[in-house]
Amino acid sequence: MKGRLRGALNKPIAMALLLMGSALLFATACGATPQTILEPTTRSARDSLDLLKFVFWSAVGVFVVVEGALIYVLIRYRRRSGDGLPRQTHGHTRLEIAWTIVPTILVVVIAVLTVPRIFALAQGPEADTLRVRAIGHQWWFEFVYPDLGVVTANELHLPVNQSVEIQLESEDVLHSFWVPKLRGKLDMVPGRVNKFVITPESTGTFLGQCAEFCGIAHALMKFTVVVESESDFAAWVDNERAPRAPPASEQAKAGEALLASKGCVACHTIRGTEAAGVIGPELTHVGSRNHIAAGILPNTHEGLAKWLSGPQDVKPGNFMVIPELSEDEVESLVTYLVGLK
Amino acid sequence: MATVTTTAPDTRTFSGAAWSWITTVDHKRIAVLYLVTALGFFVMGGVEALLIRAQLARPDADVVAPDRYTELFTMHGTTMVFLALMPMSAAFFNLLLPLMIGARDVAFPRLNALSYWIYLFGGIFINISFVAGGAPNAGWFGYAPLTATKFAATHAIDFWALGLQILGVSSILASINFIVTIVNLRAPGMTLNRMPMFVWMSMITAFLIIFAFPAITIGLVLLLFDRYMSTSFFLPAGGGDPVLWQHLFWVFGHPEVYILILPAMGIVSEILPTFSRKPLFGYAVVAYSGAAIALVGFGVWTHHMFTVGLGPIADTAFAISTMAIAVPTGVKIFNWIATLYGGSISFKTPMLFAIGMVAMFIIGGLSGVILGSPPVDGQVQDTYFVVAHLHYVLFGGTVFGLFAGIYYWFPKFTGRLLHEGWGKVHFLLMLIGFNLTFLPQHMLGIDGMPRRIHTYSSDMGFELWNMVSTVGSFMIAVSVAVFAINAIRSARSGAISGSDPWDAGTLEWTIPSPPPVYNFAEIPVVDGQYPAWDAKRGGGNTGAVATVPETLEGEDEPHIHMPNPSYWPIVMAAGMVLAASGLIFHQIFILLGAMMFGISLIGWIEEPAE
Repeated sequence: MKGRLRGALNKPIAMALLLMGSALLFATACGATPQTILEPTTRSARDSLDLLKFVFWSAVGVFVVVEGALIYVLIRYRRRSGDGLPRQTHGHTRLEIAWTIVPTILVVVIAVLTVPRIFALAQGPEADTLRVRAIGHQWWFEFVYPDLGVVTANELHLPVNQSVEIQLESEDVLHSFWVPKLRGKLDMVPGRVNKFVITPESTGTFLGQCAEFCGIAHALMKFTVVVESESDFAAWVDNERAPRAPPASEQAKAGEALLASKGCVACHTIRGTEAAGVIGPELTHVGSRNHIAAGILPNTHEGLAKWLSGPQDVKPGNFMVIPELSEDEVESLVTYLVGLK
Repeated sequence: MATVTTTAPDTRTFSGAAWSWITTVDHKRIAVLYLVTALGFFVMGGVEALLIRAQLARPDADVVAPDRYTELFTMHGTTMVFLALMPMSAAFFNLLLPLMIGARDVAFPRLNALSYWIYLFGGIFINISFVAGGAPNAGWFGYAPLTATKFAATHAIDFWALGLQILGVSSILASINFIVTIVNLRAPGMTLNRMPMFVWMSMITAFLIIFAFPAITIGLVLLLFDRYMSTSFFLPAGGGDPVLWQHLFWVFGHPEVYILILPAMGIVSEILPTFSRKPLFGYAVVAYSGAAIALVGFGVWTHHMFTVGLGPIADTAFAISTMAIAVPTGVKIFNWIATLYGGSISFKTPMLFAIGMVAMFIIGGLSGVILGSPPVDGQVQDTYFVVAHLHYVLFGGTVFGLFAGIYYWFPKFTGRLLHEGWGKVHFLLMLIGFNLTFLPQHMLGIDGMPRRIHTYSSDMGFELWNMVSTVGSFMIAVSVAVFAINAIRSARSGAISGSDPWDAGTLEWTIPSPPPVYNFAEIPVVDGQYPAWDAKRGGGNTGAVATVPETLEGEDEPHIHMPNPSYWPIVMAAGMVLAASGLIFHQIFILLGAMMFGISLIGWIEEPAE
């Protein structure tokens, strides 16, 4: 008898724990999670979150009712000594029609709320929309502002309260452009062009990450979006358009000289020098960025030195080919690159 | 009783016993082969999962290298779907379909053996890649163009593509066999609407396989063309389109989800009635909702592609069909709960796993509705939220359902019961471990953790839930170990079960455990959905048998004619896999394999039936 009771209770206890657990999970969502989808800063991201909340709480409602019914039935109808053969019911047409209609109504409601938001997410640009091309590469992001004449990498700058159309392309395999606080993801598909329009509403730096498996360094393909005031953005654009800042010290000059001898020029562009390669990220103003190596290392003296001393250790599988550098050479290159503000 | 005619090898010696397994065409022995092989691959896929979890337990970890990590998650998915769960269902189809419909074997016993051997060799073939230059590493979904020669120069992808083709042949052959068996070999009186629900779900699954696999077969053929003949079906530079691959893959891939879950639903639909001593509530609705799920399941594939950019109209259409499929799924769950309602419920281990399946599958179904809304999907697609969702369906649903089936029918396989106490320990550990592993992954998805990343930095806030998840995964491993020890010990020295340990209602419990080679000495006549209950409770057509002519022309005594053992299936399967391996190792194998195939085909045709 006792054993049976315990058997009957195992499920309910597990279920209750599960229910409390899921409530806890959602409650603790707002920790230090910089890439969370719960802090939208555009209408698109807010639409997605509102819908998520509605469907989630509907699902919680269904969960409580259905699992509750299951647990109740399991406890109420557990076998007791002296049980005869239970009544042999085979079905109940009206009941079955009812529990077909109720979930139908629920999914119709969800569908009705979903469809307008699908079309809202697909809205096209307006007359004054800023255009940006985002191009996925194994394993970094290239950003081109065709109307402003700016090319940069891994750090997208956008003016606040200005509608932007981002045009997604890929140079090699599938990637996906995802900045949870700005919008749900959209894939970068080679041979196709995807577009979306957003209007960032608050300034700040937002994390993004490739969300479609793209090979060995998929985990290390990140980027940031800097949303700034109109004047800050204009200043940034002016700076980006200018050629590289000339080397300010002897060591930096030595660094610039290494560009050619170490082969950097074959892949990278630094306007104002002979470096005009188009395979790797554009570096004319690399010193002004927050991160290097697609959001993996801080753009500090140490970060750059670590990268140049062994790019394959930082990001296994990446395509940067660099001869082994002496410590002096690393120092010179780092000093030079840090100066490229 | 009639005598049995078959030329079985002498099983008293080791070589005789081995030969008897190699040449067997007995559906029950093939079922054992399927089950043991599938459990072996299940453990392999599990070890791959543990390595993945070990790597993700801490930020910036270095447990497995990134290239190895991509192999691990690719092979974990491929192994679990094609080498563990599908074949485990096939083990139940093999054991149960003839027994449940009152037949002596499947319709094509040698074809059945062929399906098994192709599966075994195909599974080994894919896994050889680990020691032959690197395992497949583009994900179980193999999205183009990452699978193109330009991005995958080694043979890893060839192992994957050829291996899946081989396994597809096995699945399609088996499905044809099961459909013909169900359609043609039912005992007298066993109308479609008296078939056990497991038989219904098996038949629907077999049809799904036959209609779904051609899509991936074509996709893989095109991929192999791209790789071996420099075509450009999936390469934009040559006028192809990588999105074409995604369509072909998911036209197969979504029905595949139902291929994996429907057998478990069938199993649960047998176990719940037995342990509540009540017939399945709303039999017709459960059967037809299974068929509806299968049908609609072919019309929802682009919900895997909501972030591809197919446009708002396509997204809307597929969002609506995806919402629609929730309805028949929900109906099934309500019918199961109604089956329990008013019953006399006993909590034996098979029942615990069956209830666990229902309870966990509800969560997977509900998170599926969340994913079915494209604006929401845009945020959680390709994050750990999806990993959590799919495991609530395929582990919480399929694996719990399959374990319920193993505990329930183990006595029918072996004649012995699995130990109840250790079974309950297995269940509790697995239930808790499973929820510890996958519940926090919902949260990781919400926190913005993408799938298929081999590492994350410590400032992302992913640490806590990843650690919890890893602890849970090792708990699952312990529970599987408990099961393995229990299974080995119980198979040798478990309590003798007798023919009907659970007081069940379907035909397989009316014959001894394990069943004799001919299953039914006399073919029964069926006049209800639960003939064994009817017989025991004194209702219905108790104990009547069909008068099937047992004497062939020119014979005097009645015989039960059983098919002879045959070694042609294993030779044919080996020839086929050898030929496929020729595309990787050396062309001469193609010729040799084709010759083996041809010779075994002739041998097969010429083999005397009696």
